Amino acid sequence: MHSTETLWSNGTSCPAASADGGCADDQIAGDGYTCRFEQGARPESLILNMGPQHPSTHGVLRVLLELDGEYIVRAEPVLGYLHRMHEKMAEVKTPAQFMPNMGRVDYLHALAWNWAYVGAVEKLAGIEIPERAEYLRVITCELNRISSHLLWWGAYLLDLGAFTPIMYAFDDREMLLDLLQLMTGSRLTYSSFRFGGVYTDASPAFVQGVRQFIPHLRSRLPMYTALVTENIILRRRIEEVGVIPQDMVTRYGASGPVARGSGIAYDVRRAEPYSVYDRFDYEIPVRHEECSMARYMVRMAEIEQSLRIIEQAIESLPDGEHMHPKAPKPSFKLPAGESYFAVEGARGKIGVWIASDGGKTPYRVKLRAPGFSNLALFAECARGTLLADAVAILGSLDMVIPEIDR
Amino acid sequence: MNATISFDSVLHVVLALVGVAVFVGLNGLLLVYAERKVAGFIQRRPGPYEVGPQGILQAVADALKLIGKQLVRPDRADPLLFWMAPVLAFFPVLLLFLPIPFSPLLTGWDVNLGLLLILAFAGFNVLALLLAGWGSNNKYGLLGAARAVAQSVAYEIPLLLAVLAIAFQEGTLSLTAIVGGQGGMPWQWNIVVQPLAFLIFFVSALGETNRAPFDLPEAESELTAGFHTEYSGMGFGMFFLAEYANMIVACSVCTVLFLGGWKGPFLDGAWWFLAKVYGLLLSMMWFRWTYPRVRFDQLLNLNWRWLLPLGVLNLLATAFVMKL
Amino acid sequence: MTPETAYVTPDVLLAPLDPAYLADETPARTGLRWSAFLSADALPRAATLLLQAGWHLEDICGLDVREGLMAVYHFDRMTSPGRLAIRVLMDRAAPVLPSIADIHQGAEWHERETADFYGIAFTGNPNPAPLLLPEGMQGHPLLKGEAARAPLAALLAVPGREDTVLRKAEGFTLLDPAEDAKPAKPAKARAAATEEGADNA
Repeated sequence: MHSTETLWSNGTSCPAASADGGCADDQIAGDGYTCRFEQGARPESLILNMGPQHPSTHGVLRVLLELDGEYIVRAEPVLGYLHRMHEKMAEVKTPAQFMPNMGRVDYLHALAWNWAYVGAVEKLAGIEIPERAEYLRVITCELNRISSHLLWWGAYLLDLGAFTPIMYAFDDREMLLDLLQLMTGSRLTYSSFRFGGVYTDASPAFVQGVRQFIPHLRSRLPMYTALVTENIILRRRIEEVGVIPQDMVTRYGASGPVARGSGIAYDVRRAEPYSVYDRFDYEIPVRHEECSMARYMVRMAEIEQSLRIIEQAIESLPDGEHMHPKAPKPSFKLPAGESYFAVEGARGKIGVWIASDGGKTPYRVKLRAPGFSNLALFAECARGTLLADAVAILGSLDMVIPEIDR
Repeated sequence: MNATISFDSVLHVVLALVGVAVFVGLNGLLLVYAERKVAGFIQRRPGPYEVGPQGILQAVADALKLIGKQLVRPDRADPLLFWMAPVLAFFPVLLLFLPIPFSPLLTGWDVNLGLLLILAFAGFNVLALLLAGWGSNNKYGLLGAARAVAQSVAYEIPLLLAVLAIAFQEGTLSLTAIVGGQGGMPWQWNIVVQPLAFLIFFVSALGETNRAPFDLPEAESELTAGFHTEYSGMGFGMFFLAEYANMIVACSVCTVLFLGGWKGPFLDGAWWFLAKVYGLLLSMMWFRWTYPRVRFDQLLNLNWRWLLPLGVLNLLATAFVMKL
Repeated sequence: MTPETAYVTPDVLLAPLDPAYLADETPARTGLRWSAFLSADALPRAATLLLQAGWHLEDICGLDVREGLMAVYHFDRMTSPGRLAIRVLMDRAAPVLPSIADIHQGAEWHERETADFYGIAFTGNPNPAPLLLPEGMQGHPLLKGEAARAPLAALLAVPGREDTVLRKAEGFTLLDPAEDAKPAKPAKARAAATEEGADNA
């Protein structure tokens, strides 16, 4: 093993912080991050430590801000407050044992993570999936995407100071959770995908419920538009705020609605088609304004497109098994080799890379979280904006901290 | 009004102050309950439900909790400023109620410069918010205080312009006289003659009282709680009570200036006055639970670019018409 | 972004950098479209070329194998997608890589994360503080103990890959089936061995 003294990745120790991570300069209160951040500040500016407990950093993100009045001179997100080392757990658990973890990486779109991991394992082990299970995966995953977008919508408006929309969003989301409960047995941290199928078959009640839910939500969306989207205060708050040009998207590897709000029609469901998505007729919503409003509009349009997919899938749901008869037992051994599987989550491209040496547990599992890359561009995007804009930008990136910290 | 100060008039004012304190306290409880019920109604949920029938005692329980809590001061905060702020926020507000004519009989102190007195003492609120933010030794508090000062100072001007337009028209600064100049029927109220002044006054009043969508000094999602971040217990309770008291004053003055005060189509009296005030208060709550918050530069732009020029134009037009 | 007409496949793009190994992959089998082995020195140049050609960095994965420490850079493209894995092997005694955070800004966090988990030093990273792990923490959790390390050839064993190799330098033996490639140890023993390794860090 190499040097035990180095604390930093460039092999040096921190110039300003003491060895335990605290601040060597007793004039500055705070830890090593605050300490280093303050050293780069101009003498007249104000350093504001936003989070990890702050109403609009959703969960436990911490952002260090250097302010000139209310203008942001510099921003630095500090991560790690919700780090659970999922990648280490993946190395000591069998794939079946690791599945519950996949419900807890991004708790708002848990089924997409389910799918990414299951997909990587199936690809590596050559496991087949019955057609009915593919359809059920599409339906539940899209339902989950809608519930994630609805929650984002409510929480984003809460960030912008509108207290009421989240109650309406939760009203609709509750119906989704009831439906997903029928299929997965849980309401938030789903882990219902299995290697070679899904945990349970669709009951008539589920199919009926989904059929009723589609027109219900469609009837609600115009109200959301009239009540919130067209509100002049909202538009002034987020139009032309948080502009993310296309080259910034590329440099940071951002994806999902962040990329599509900047005019890049990139969606893993189209770019790397998986499952049966190629059988459905739907659009990839793209906006070219590059601002927070564009990302807002993309997500609202995605709710409608997900409804379209679900509608087609539920009507053409084939008969058959929900688990492949040759699906492996939970104690199966992964063959040696590597596989990368990407799916489109509510926040962007979710990737799982598995490298296996043929043992019972994977040798290495890498979880590629879309929020990680999306949040990375915040520092550049927020420079020169107002404090209130920073909140609007953070919200428009739709971050889920447990996914970013993993 | 007699210029000499007699024992009777002093006693009258003291009694009025006690009455006002009771009125403000009870109203605080009532408005907290009303606000939460209104919020519940708008958000399609029951609101307070458990304490007492229909949760009617919820506000009492909240008040008892606030009173019972330990007073905590941050270690490096300035004790004098820190504790002075909530006192300064709450007590001057009581004075504002003195000249308000609830009805011809129910007026604390019918002073002929009543409007001036209200505008003068309302200025104390800014000072209190500034001291609270500054004295807390907290960066969110400081930002909140800076916002509060900029906002209050800015919105005082169009508010004053709107008030002046009415004062010009009525030729008096006495609130009783202003009500006297209006009739009982809605079309005899000043709002018909001065709709622009009413709009300017009401929007500025939202800004002055830090109510949504102009609640920037305590913008929760940006500044956690702004100027009162470090206050808990009754320190916070005083600010809270002061906010509601200020709302009542703003709506009362609005009622006097534009909505005919205690006069109604029939049976003139304090009930008309209160009905109009609570109507305005309800609309303030309605705004709060409906709109997102504006941004700080937009807030100031709205004031300097629209309210202020419009207020000046309105005042000039009023003066011109009065001269004719 | 470069217009579609300028699209050059990475095998042509990376050719001037003289990759030690470059192969076509089957996406249906591995999820990759190309894979390459590069030297650490060639990494910034490769990152620049890829960014100019419209590629973005997906992630950086560390890997602890018998031959040393490895970093895998996954790149993808928004238009005409296809995943490219660039693998760089380092000496375990001095795991150092040049940072590409000045080219792909998104790499800053990926590099810091890899530094946290594997102790790989990225020279030139603008903010090389720990990202996910606490400051002052000793050890790197994903390093494996001596006994638990697998040979690279076992991990990247893809049947039929030999047939699609586009370039292979003289003396490149990393992917040749190792003589002593033992089947993996039981999970329990391996976990214990890994923990031991982390403690020793």
